[in-house]
Order: sequence, then structure tokens, then C-alpha cells
Amino acid sequence: MATLSRPKRWDTPFSPDMTDEEVQRLCEIKEIAAIDKDKFPASTPLEGILKNDCRTVRYEVGDIVIREGDYGNSAFLILSGDLRVVLSPGLPDEMLGRTKIRKKSFLEALSQLWKKSIIPEVRDTERYRDRSLRKGSDSGTAQVFLQDVPAVLDSNKTAVLGAGALFGELAALGRLPRTSSVFAETQATVLEIRWQGLRELRKFDEGWRDAIDKRYRENALNAYLSATQLFSHLDDDNLQAVADSALFETHGKFDWHVTYNKMKDMDNASIIEEEPVIAREGDYPDGLLMIRAGFARVSVKKGNGRQTLTYLKAGDYYGDDELYRAWKGEENVALKVTITALGYVDVLRVPSNSIEEYLFSHWATRKKEDIAPMKMELFDQTLADGALREWTVQERFINGTQTMMINLDRCVRCDDCVRACSDTHQGNPRFIRHGKTFDHWMVANACMHCADPVCMIGCPTGAIHRDLSGGMVIINDDTCIGCETCANSCPYSNIRMAEIRDTTGRLVVDPENQKPILKATKCDLCAGQRTGPACVFACPHDAVKRVDFREAFSGAFEEN
Amino acid sequence: MMRIWIYIFLAILFFLFIGFWASQAEQFLGKPSQITGWALFASVSFLALFSVRKRLPFLSLAPASRWFLLHTIGGFLALSLFWLHMGSLWPVGLGDEVMAGLFYAVTLSGIIGLFLEKLYPHYLTRSGVECIYERIPNEIFEIRSNAEEVLLKCAEETGSDTLGQHYLETLHWFFQRPRFFLNHAFMGQSAQHWVRHQCQILERYLDEKEREYLKQIFALADYKRKIDFHYTAQRILKGWLLIHLPISVGVMALTLWHLIVVHVYFL
Repeated sequence: MATLSRPKRWDTPFSPDMTDEEVQRLCEIKEIAAIDKDKFPASTPLEGILKNDCRTVRYEVGDIVIREGDYGNSAFLILSGDLRVVLSPGLPDEMLGRTKIRKKSFLEALSQLWKKSIIPEVRDTERYRDRSLRKGSDSGTAQVFLQDVPAVLDSNKTAVLGAGALFGELAALGRLPRTSSVFAETQATVLEIRWQGLRELRKFDEGWRDAIDKRYRENALNAYLSATQLFSHLDDDNLQAVADSALFETHGKFDWHVTYNKMKDMDNASIIEEEPVIAREGDYPDGLLMIRAGFARVSVKKGNGRQTLTYLKAGDYYGDDELYRAWKGEENVALKVTITALGYVDVLRVPSNSIEEYLFSHWATRKKEDIAPMKMELFDQTLADGALREWTVQERFINGTQTMMINLDRCVRCDDCVRACSDTHQGNPRFIRHGKTFDHWMVANACMHCADPVCMIGCPTGAIHRDLSGGMVIINDDTCIGCETCANSCPYSNIRMAEIRDTTGRLVVDPENQKPILKATKCDLCAGQRTGPACVFACPHDAVKRVDFREAFSGAFEEN
Repeated sequence: MMRIWIYIFLAILFFLFIGFWASQAEQFLGKPSQITGWALFASVSFLALFSVRKRLPFLSLAPASRWFLLHTIGGFLALSLFWLHMGSLWPVGLGDEVMAGLFYAVTLSGIIGLFLEKLYPHYLTRSGVECIYERIPNEIFEIRSNAEEVLLKCAEETGSDTLGQHYLETLHWFFQRPRFFLNHAFMGQSAQHWVRHQCQILERYLDEKEREYLKQIFALADYKRKIDFHYTAQRILKGWLLIHLPISVGVMALTLWHLIVVHVYFL
């Protein structure tokens, strides 16, 4: 019989370079020394967190530490040196190593007819030579840097972040895009704490928890609550009272794609059993659950499995109906559903007393049909009614905002979509007309431009990024170093590594080891093309659609 | 849906206008065939543009689905104009007969293609499998390898070669390459019947263990049958264009020749 030691949480530390001496040195730093080590359980000691969930990174002058709009899973504590945070309006995309999307003129678009090479993936390699990349010892530590720091300081509003400053924690814990860019003004050493460690620090140390929560309450919570329809009637003072009472929770794993890939072959019931529970069927509802980021499954027991009634996404909430009935005097009100985390989910729990005081008292003055929607219709659906939803949740296609759906009853398998994609992308299509099917729908292997883009986490140069104007996830070919992090992270295998060729058609190789130079390629929704996605535009039978699954169940699957 | 009816209405309107114009020209001793001829040339040229449009996916020349719709309606308009131009269903003279023959051939191939494109996707979806056409040979190779692996396991475990012998005598033919092409083309059940029959006649000579292996072979054969159907349907869906397009080119060439001849010798 084969044996294997049970895998442990810290089998793969954040950095192999963290030594015990380095950990001891860190323990003497004021912000770390203030932490009460005794509050940490024996299985997760502070030293363990520092050694396995942290790494020290040294930045040269001009190095970009984080970029506005990027998704990251780390927070940063400055150990020495000065960093600068760029205030609104932020640095231009080109400076951050991104592509500026410009729609082609008619002539530029037409010129693709004779400019396209018959050899796929041809690049003018000259253009890579002036890239603003500082290469690290391995491909994973390459940095994009600003070439003229004084000019950046002159032309942008910035603020200094000195030693002891913590930043990036809200985006890391909330799985939200970074709100500003930070670069090194002087040589600096920074402690990078990955989200797992940050979560433990927040959980076990009151000081860190208070600091993080305080900053979240100050910066984001009021804006979030006032943006939701539920609390739009509240004035600033009452909104503050609700915000003060709210509890923050995170469920699931930040790197959910790893477990998702492992669970792919499991049956639906087993998958749901593995999902972290946020609220359980039969429990007393103690507060309103508001989803701030990520997805949660709402399910009930059905036969020997669980039926998914719906899913909750950012901005959705659950529990209002049960709380309202309890407030109205109904006895033994319990949750009829179980809510579980689909991957990673960030939840706000607003306690029932706050809801009663600030929401239900407002509802009491209004007609019943005008108040928040009752969720009774959820329970009336048959298995057939919800089968498509069940499938999309199980396959996590709910993450897609531009999912390529093919109506197989219309598709004549002519591959015009593939040819159009190839013609607009260096002779190599950016998707495969193949994928998982349900009834007469196929989700093709094309980038879905996810609401929660795990592919963007860990890109060392920020080459893969979300375009802030269009929302699509795109790769800057100039700054992609071919490290494959994004391709390995994509849970749907929709990013492919391509060997590039020079203008004469020869394979481009690294002179050091003669290995081919790779570039990550994926659907970019034909950014810059005049037609929008060429696949959709080229389909003669209207079989191809780009579907935002956040709105998919409100008509996207209906025949046109 | 509304758009279809608008395009059909416009096509009818165009046809009526050309018909009226031609009849007026006839009354006033003009040349009605010149009017109908140029209208026909314009409509045929427009139909040919669809193929050009397909090669320019990066130009914002309206979605291909709209072009396809206009191509279909335009095809019927061209046929109506063709009849109007000839004044009969079949012309006189070898040159015109060749041209008419090609025109009818391209129209017929278009209508058949349209019918197939509506029919086959539905059946392909209901086959329960999806396979990219270019990958079918590889898929069949894998099915055959799996089948032969099952046979080897069966022989190793049971010590009997009955199943293997039968495979070599009959089923091997089926697993070699796509089969029952014509039958699949007409959505026939022959392949299903043949596979079931071949398994049934063997069953009485097998013990319990061997029957389990036969079940696996049957499942693989059934999957192969579905892949064969994909091969047939996808080949036909791709193939009809190889008839439609060359004839279209022929029609266009003869139309240009006809135009030159008419303008040089008759006008």
C-alpha cells in the first residue's frame, strides 16, 4: 500500500528564503512585537505565520509594489524605506505596464488583411527591448518599475508611506481590486503577508483586527451600505450605527481554484458537503447576511443530495424574510436553507437588532408588496426548473461576465467563429470551440472575464489585468514574462501558453537555455477591434453569445 | 423575427418595382431584359459578397448573421429575377442553358444547405456527445484502443478468446473508421441495430464475467456510433459548401461573360 504524509497547511511556505533568524528579527519590529503571541493556538503560532505566510521583499527606487486595479492576495508592512501611494487620478496605464486599448481605425482594421502572417504567433521582438521590466532571480520576482520617479512625483499627487505603515490589507481580505498604486521612492524593504497569514493575524490579534476593521469601516463600509437598496433610506447617523454593528466574516479559501480543480471529479452532493457553511438549515437567523465579494450557494436537502435554489453574489443578501417574520411575532422561525461558500466569500453579518431597528421599522410604514422581495418562489421551483442554475453553480460558470455560450441547436460547426478569432489574433484562435454542455448549451473554452479573476492573482508583472473602462481581463503581451502563473490559476483552463516566433517565422528562444519564449494568450474580447468579439460577429446563425451570468437568469438563455 | 419580415417585404417590393419598370419599358419600346438583367446581376453580386464578408471579420460590415439572412432572402429574390429575366423556366441556346443549369444548381445546393443547417444541428446536439470534426480520427483511435484493452483484459481474466475472436471477425470492421455514412446521413438506425445484433449473437456463448466485458465493448461501440454520426453530419455540413461555392464562382464567371457578349453583340 502506498503511503503519504498527510499534507499540512505550511507544506508550501510563501517564500523558501524565510529563516528562523529572519523571523526573530521580524519579531523585534514594533508592529509585530506588539502582538500577543499567547493568543495564537499551538497549531498556528505567530512565528509559524511569519515564517510561512510572509516574505521580505526588497524594492529598488521606482519599483511598483501594487498597481491600481490589480487583484492581489497580500498585504504589505513597510520595514524600512519610503514608498509613495499615488492619489487620484492615478498613474496612466502605460506606466503601470498595461496596454492602452485604442479602437482601430477602418484602415488599420482593413490592413490586417495583408499584415497578418501565415505563421501563427509572430511578434516583432524589437518591441520587447524597451520594456520597463526589472528581472528577478526567477521569473516570479520580475518587477515593473517607473523609469523617471522625479517626473512621476512632479506630475502626480502622492503621499508618503513610511516604515511601519500597513497597506493593501482591505483588497487582500475582501478580494477587491487595489484602489491605488504604490511605488518605492527610496530603496525599501517590505514584509509581504499573504492573505492566509493576514486572516490569522486579524483573527487572533486584537490590535491588528481593530486596525483593519477600523480602516474598513472608515474607508469602505458606509459607502457599501449606502449603495445597497436596503439601507438607502437611512441618514448618515443611522447608517453609521448599522455600520458599527456589522460583523465581518470571510469563508472559504482565497485560492479556491486549487480545491475546485481537485473537486471536479466529485459528485455534486460531496462537493456541497466540502463547502464551508455560512448559515445552516434549521438554525436561528441571527442577522442579515450581505455578500460583499465572492459567491455563496443557497441549497436545501433533497433526497440524498442537496438542491441549489439560487446563489448569492456581491450585493445580494439573505435572511431578511426570516428575520422579518420573527420580528412580526412568528414563533420558531428558522433558516430553511443552508448557505455555503462557493470558493471564497466575504460576508457582512448585520445583527438582527440593527435590522429590526433600522430596516423593519421602516418597512412597517410601507405596504408589504413594496418591501424587499419575499423568497418564497425559491422553494416552489422543480428540479427541472433549476437544473440549468444547478449546473452553472456546480461548474462555477456563475463567475463569468462574458462567458462564451454556444446554442448547439443553431451551431452548424462551421468554425467561422474560430477562423474570425484566428484572423484577429496573430493566426492563432484564442478559444476552443469545445467545452461542457448542458441541454443545447455549450460553454466554450474561452476566457469568461470572471467577476472573481483568480488568474490575476500572482502575476508578477501585472501583465494580466482588468481594463478599467471595459471590465475585460486582458494580457499585456509586452510585459508578460511567460511564467504560466495565470494559466495554472485559471480554473477553467482558458489561458494557453503560446511559443512565439519572430517576423521571419523562427521560434524565439531564450539564449541562456534555448527554451522557447512563451506568452500567455487568451480571449481579449477583441479589444481594439471595431467589431467587438469577432466570434459573435462572425457567426452566421446567431449561435454564439457572450453571457454575463450575473444576469443570465433574467433572459439571456431565451431564444431571440 | 421582425427583421426577417422586413427584409422579405423589401425583397418583394424590389421585385415588384423591377417587374413594373420592365413592363413599362416594354410598353414604351424599351429594353426590359436590360433592366431585369442588371437587377439580376446586382442581386447575384450581392449574394457573392457574403463570401467576401466572411474573409473580413475585422471590418464592421454588419454581423454575419444579418448577412446570412440577407443572403438567403436574396437567393430567392435572385431566382425570381432570373425567371423574370428569362421569361420562362428554361432558356434556349447552349450557352444560356449551361448558365441556367449552373444557376439552378447553385440555388438548389443553397436550399439543400439551408435545410441541412436547420436539420443536423438539432440531431447532433441530441446525440449526447460533442466532437470537433478534426479530432474525430483521434477519437476513433482512442475508442478502438480502449476496446482492444478491454478484450485483452477479458482474455487475461477469463482465459477465453470468444469475445476477442468475435471482435476480430466482425466488430473490428466497425471500430476501424467511421461507418454507416449514408445511413447516418438519413438519420437511420442501422448502426445501432448492427452493434446490438453483433453483441446479441455473441451473448449466449459467454459466461457472466465475459458478459461484463461485452457490456463495456457495447458501450464503446455505442459511443463510436455517435461519433460516426458526428462525422457524417459534420462532413455533410462542411461538404455542401464545397459544391455551392465552386458553382457560385462558375455562375459569376458566366454572368460576366454573358454581360460582355450581350453588350458587344446585342445592344
